[in-house]
Amino acid sequence: MPEWFLYFVAMPMAVLIVSSAVYALYWASKKGQLRNLEEGAKVIFDEEEPLGKPTDQTLNQPKPPKKKNR
Amino acid sequence: MNRAPLIFLGIFFTVAFSWTGIVLTNHLMYADLQPVFDENEGRAFPQPLPGDALRGKEVYRDLGCMYCHSQQVRHPGFGTDIQRGWGERGSVARDYIHERRVYLGTMRTGPDLRNVGARFAGEGGRNWHIQHFYNPTEVSNVTLSNGRTYGSIMPPYRFLFRTQPIIGEPSPRSVQHLLPAKDQPPVGHEIVLTQRGEDLIAYLLALKDPPLYPEEARRVYVPPAQPDRGEPRPGTAPESTREVLQ
Amino acid sequence: MSATLTESLRPTATPELAKRVELSAIDASTRGPVLYFLGSSILWLILGTVFALIASIKMHAPEFLGDSEWLTWGRVRTAHLNAVAFGWSVNASFAVAIWLMARLARAEVRHAGMLTLAAVFWNVGLTIGIFGILAGDSTSIEWLEIPPYATPILFVAYALIGAWALITFRFGRSQHIYVSQWYILGALFWFPSIYSVAQVMLLLEPTRGTVQSLVNWWFAHNFIGLWLTPIGVGAIYYFLPKVLGKPIHSYYLSILGFWSLALFYNWAGVHHLIGGPVPVWVQTAGIAASFMMVVPVLVTAINHHLTMVGSFSALKYSPTLRFIVFGAVNYTLTSLVGSLASMRSFSEVVHFTQHTVAHAHHGLYSFFTMVMFGAVYYIVPRVTLKEWPSVKLISLHFWTVAIGNIAMIGALTIGGIEQGINMNVLPTNPDGTAGEPMAFLNVMAQTLKWLEWRTYSGILITVGHVAFAINFAWMLWQPRKPGITQPALFRNAPDMEVAR
Repeated sequence: MPEWFLYFVAMPMAVLIVSSAVYALYWASKKGQLRNLEEGAKVIFDEEEPLGKPTDQTLNQPKPPKKKNR
Repeated sequence: MNRAPLIFLGIFFTVAFSWTGIVLTNHLMYADLQPVFDENEGRAFPQPLPGDALRGKEVYRDLGCMYCHSQQVRHPGFGTDIQRGWGERGSVARDYIHERRVYLGTMRTGPDLRNVGARFAGEGGRNWHIQHFYNPTEVSNVTLSNGRTYGSIMPPYRFLFRTQPIIGEPSPRSVQHLLPAKDQPPVGHEIVLTQRGEDLIAYLLALKDPPLYPEEARRVYVPPAQPDRGEPRPGTAPESTREVLQ
Repeated sequence: MSATLTESLRPTATPELAKRVELSAIDASTRGPVLYFLGSSILWLILGTVFALIASIKMHAPEFLGDSEWLTWGRVRTAHLNAVAFGWSVNASFAVAIWLMARLARAEVRHAGMLTLAAVFWNVGLTIGIFGILAGDSTSIEWLEIPPYATPILFVAYALIGAWALITFRFGRSQHIYVSQWYILGALFWFPSIYSVAQVMLLLEPTRGTVQSLVNWWFAHNFIGLWLTPIGVGAIYYFLPKVLGKPIHSYYLSILGFWSLALFYNWAGVHHLIGGPVPVWVQTAGIAASFMMVVPVLVTAINHHLTMVGSFSALKYSPTLRFIVFGAVNYTLTSLVGSLASMRSFSEVVHFTQHTVAHAHHGLYSFFTMVMFGAVYYIVPRVTLKEWPSVKLISLHFWTVAIGNIAMIGALTIGGIEQGINMNVLPTNPDGTAGEPMAFLNVMAQTLKWLEWRTYSGILITVGHVAFAINFAWMLWQPRKPGITQPALFRNAPDMEVAR
């Protein structure tokens, strides 16, 4: 294994990657990206398909389901 | 709020990180391994494959042989490859430097083929391969203690042979004399091995690694320095020294 | 001209479109490409299943179709892998990803015709590729067997799809990026990166020696880890809360799961080369990463389980939930088995055996494919505005593939461990010394019974796939009832009364 590779390529690269990850986290927390995380879970619901209403009852067909719905 | 930049940055860095670590580092570290010149033999090892074997490797590729046969011998003490006679030593990275495509393999539905050219060599080896390709289930079989006989599950490769009428002299390449009575061709016909079959067998006969190269031998088979690891079996590299092995 | 094009790409450019788009309108805008992708994926699924059955029968009856060069084991097995991986899985992923991206970004898909064109390209490229494999042009590089002359077509298709997904994302109106989008965006970016690198370093300008094997497994494992897994997990994170009507238990955990997956899965592929002629340090890194995969997997499992708690009765009514939960449970199981199997001592035994095959099917089938089935049952009624024509066929589909799966993976896991012990462990003599290894043909003979089991379970799975395909074709065939804006069975019963 060429030793120069370790010192001049691999290690600077590792330092670069780790420091950019740290910076990204710092940036994120500074911009408030990490606050109110749990709110995000609710964005898939809206008036059309609201929270608390299960969707998909395909196997729960009432006797003749179409008649009831007509 | 928009996290998109953060997400893209992370997505890019994670894959770049693993590519650097697994691919680039190793490419820089040992993709330039060179053959080793042996003073006694007057040749450099490993030797590249001869032309007919290289054509045979294309047949090996196209039939998908590597999905059942690996081409790597595990080191002594890891698995049972050495005891099975699949090689005299574990495979090292230098063995593969001439190969434009490397078929290490991940399955052993059939035996390892890295040194099959040492197990089946010369005219006898060629004849065995011919018989085996024609009728693997009958040529390789085993009778278990329950009294049942099980044939090899290698599929037949009769499409590597051709039955043709004898015109004039019989072909010197006819092979039916090697086959059992039930497989004899009709009168006036002969069975010959196709060129692809010849090439594939040439490849199998050529598969054989040389003795370990001096550099790897120095790095692997140094005497064990850790008595607490217990007595290593003869020919076994202790774990600590195996770790430098490429 | 260019201004018009930009406007047509950006829905917000026109004021009346800037209003919030109805979900049903978004669903409808994806209809063409989603149905095209799903239809082709189901055709590939059937074809891939046929290849699988042929390959499986050949494993214990080698004379079966023995004289056909095109269907020799090494080719038909490869055709199976590519048909189900790039035909079924990737086509289904595209459909699910397009639908989810549009919904989550709150944007109608613009110029859906381009996506359908991309789907045509993808499937033409793949057809050429699989024909090439059967004809003997396979590259014999695992997971990259498609011959080089078919790959450019796949790249064109992918570029179109990726660009359209990004446009939908960029110009969508959702203020928030939901976690499923993280996963899908990751997958959409990761797949072309690893695929191009592998194409260059293995086929165009091959690197030397066993570095090739590292590239190969870096790609192949990441195809599963960075394409199929994020799409599957992303789909679970959407459908599970959506079907139940309650948010995911912990959004924080889902994001932790995403980043740990992105960090560790990348490195795990090397565990396919443990004990092989590649540097030991990189094997160790692969083992460590495989073991660290326990983190995202357990985080995800806990999160899914806590979301499900209290709602298990919903499994009775929702086919989507059944398939998704089956998939989610098996994601946990297969990942834990994977982490275990990458340990050096366990890998010494089970590497090179049917255990690997079991593990591959556990991940790709019991997890990914089941999640995709669940997604299809949810998506198709919404984009077609029709109901599934046969509930019986849905139940038949679920039970045959679920039982078939458990039987196949059970048989091959146990069989693989037995095969590994017979093949790789030296028996101990009475005097304590190491004995001779079991003869190779004996090992094979002992394994045969498990290979037969695979064929039986495969037949069961085939029945399920045929039921699924019939139901899907029937659904497309049947006429739509007039005046329906949303499939009735996707609202719960009291809702039905009011919403009409």
